[in-house]
Amino acid sequence: MEKIYFDNGSTSWPKAPGVPEAMADLLLEGGFNINRGNYEGAYEIEGMVLDTREQLAKLFHARHSKGVVFTPNVTYSLNFFLKGFLRSGGHIVVSGMEHNAVMRPLEQLKGSGAAYTAAPVDREGNLKPEDIEACIRKDTRAVLVTHASNVCGTTTPIQEIGELCVRHGLIFAVDTAQTAGTLDIDMEKCGIDFLAFTGHKGLLGPQGIGGFLISERLDEEMSPLIAGGTGSLSDSLIMPESLPDKYESGTMNLPGIAGLHAALTYLEQEGIQKIHRRKMKLTAYFLERILEIPEVRVVGRKTCEDRVAVVSLDFRTKDNAVAAFELEQEAGIMTRVGLHCAPAAHRSFGTFPKGTVRFAFSAANREEEVDRCIETIYKIV
Amino acid sequence: MQDIQHYVLFPNHDNAMRLYRELKKLGVRAVIAPTPRSASKCCGVSLMVEENDLGQIKETAEEKEIEILKIAEVEKDFNPRRDRYC
Repeated sequence: MEKIYFDNGSTSWPKAPGVPEAMADLLLEGGFNINRGNYEGAYEIEGMVLDTREQLAKLFHARHSKGVVFTPNVTYSLNFFLKGFLRSGGHIVVSGMEHNAVMRPLEQLKGSGAAYTAAPVDREGNLKPEDIEACIRKDTRAVLVTHASNVCGTTTPIQEIGELCVRHGLIFAVDTAQTAGTLDIDMEKCGIDFLAFTGHKGLLGPQGIGGFLISERLDEEMSPLIAGGTGSLSDSLIMPESLPDKYESGTMNLPGIAGLHAALTYLEQEGIQKIHRRKMKLTAYFLERILEIPEVRVVGRKTCEDRVAVVSLDFRTKDNAVAAFELEQEAGIMTRVGLHCAPAAHRSFGTFPKGTVRFAFSAANREEEVDRCIETIYKIV
Repeated sequence: MQDIQHYVLFPNHDNAMRLYRELKKLGVRAVIAPTPRSASKCCGVSLMVEENDLGQIKETAEEKEIEILKIAEVEKDFNPRRDRYC
C-alpha cells in the first residue's frame, strides 16, 4: 500500500532536494570542526556556516547576519530566550495557544520570580492584539507569541503585536515553528527582537538543527543559557560577549547546518510563496471536502484566510486515536493524533483532553492523496 | 625586506571569516592563519595582511560592523625563502 504523509507539522518529508547529499558530503569529504581547527578545510566549512547565517538573515529580513545563532531546535531556542531573559524575573505575556516549548519553561521559571499571563484566543485560534495589550502589567518585559498554532494552523497578527510592543517598550519574541519557510516574516517591519526557528519543518532541512535571530537590544539584556568552549577567547573562564559565540558553546551540528544550507538554497530557487500556494491549494481542497462530512468537526478556521496548511479534526462518532489508527491501517495515511504538545491551545479550543487528529500538508502532497484520505474518512466514520 | 608581519586579531572566527570575505571582494590580500601565541593568549584565528592595506582594512571592518580586537605586529620567524604567504 502506498503511504501518504500528512504529518508535516511534526517534521516535513520529503526534505528539499540536495539535503541528504550535502550532509553526507560534509561527513565524507572532510567533517572538520569549525572555530577550533586552524587549517583550510575547517575554514571552508566556516564559510558554509557563514553562508547559512546570511541566508537566514535574508529570509527573515534581519538587519545583520551577526545575530543568527544555531541551536538544536526551536524548543532550545525558546528556552534560550525565556531562561536567558527572564532569569532576573519579570512578567511576560504569551498567547493562549502556545506549545509546551513555551509553557513548560515558563512554569519552571515561576519558581525564580518570573510570571506570565496567557492572552485569550477564541475557539478558532484568533488572537486580538488588544487582548495582548490588556495583559500588560507594570513589570511586563516581553511578549512572546507563536506565529501559527501547531494545532489548527491559525496565524497571529505579528505586525500589529510588534507595533504595540514598540509603543509599550517591550521585547517582542516570535515562535515560527510552523511558519518559517512558509510565510514571509519581516523581523524589521514587525519589530521582532527574537525569532525562534527550526530547520526541519517548513525550511525542509534535517532534524536536529534550528536556531534564533536576536536583536542587538535584546542581546544586551540576555544571558547565555549554556556555557562552555567556543574556540574564542580561550584564555578566559568567562563566556565571550561576541555574537554568535555567546550562545554557541560546544561543537555545532555541522552536518545539520550543511543540510539546512542546501534546503535554504532550494527555497531561494523555488520561492517560499510558490511553495506556500501549493500547500494552501491542497488545504482549500481538503477543507472543502471535509466540511461535507457531518461526523467530523474542523477545529479552527474553516477557510484558508490567515492560516497555514495545518488542519485539525475532531471525529464526533469515534475516539480520535482510533480514527488516526484506522486512517493508517486502511489507507497508509500518517497523521498526528493527541494534544500536539499544546495542552494550553487545546484548552482554548475546547478539545482538551480528547485532542484532535492533525493533517499538515506539504507541497509534495497531491490532490489524489486528499481524495483517498476523504474516501477513507467516509469509510471509518 | 620586511621583517614584521601584521596580523588582524578578532574576538571569534565568525568575525575573521566576515572580514576575510569582504577583503577578498575588494581584492585586498589576506590569509587566514592561527593567531601567533606571541600576539595573543587566545587560540583563535587572525588575518595575515600587508601594512599598506591597514587603513582600508580598518575602514572595511567599521563599515561592515566587524569586530576587531587589535592589529598585532609580529616579527617574522619563518624561512624567507618560503615567505610567500602574503
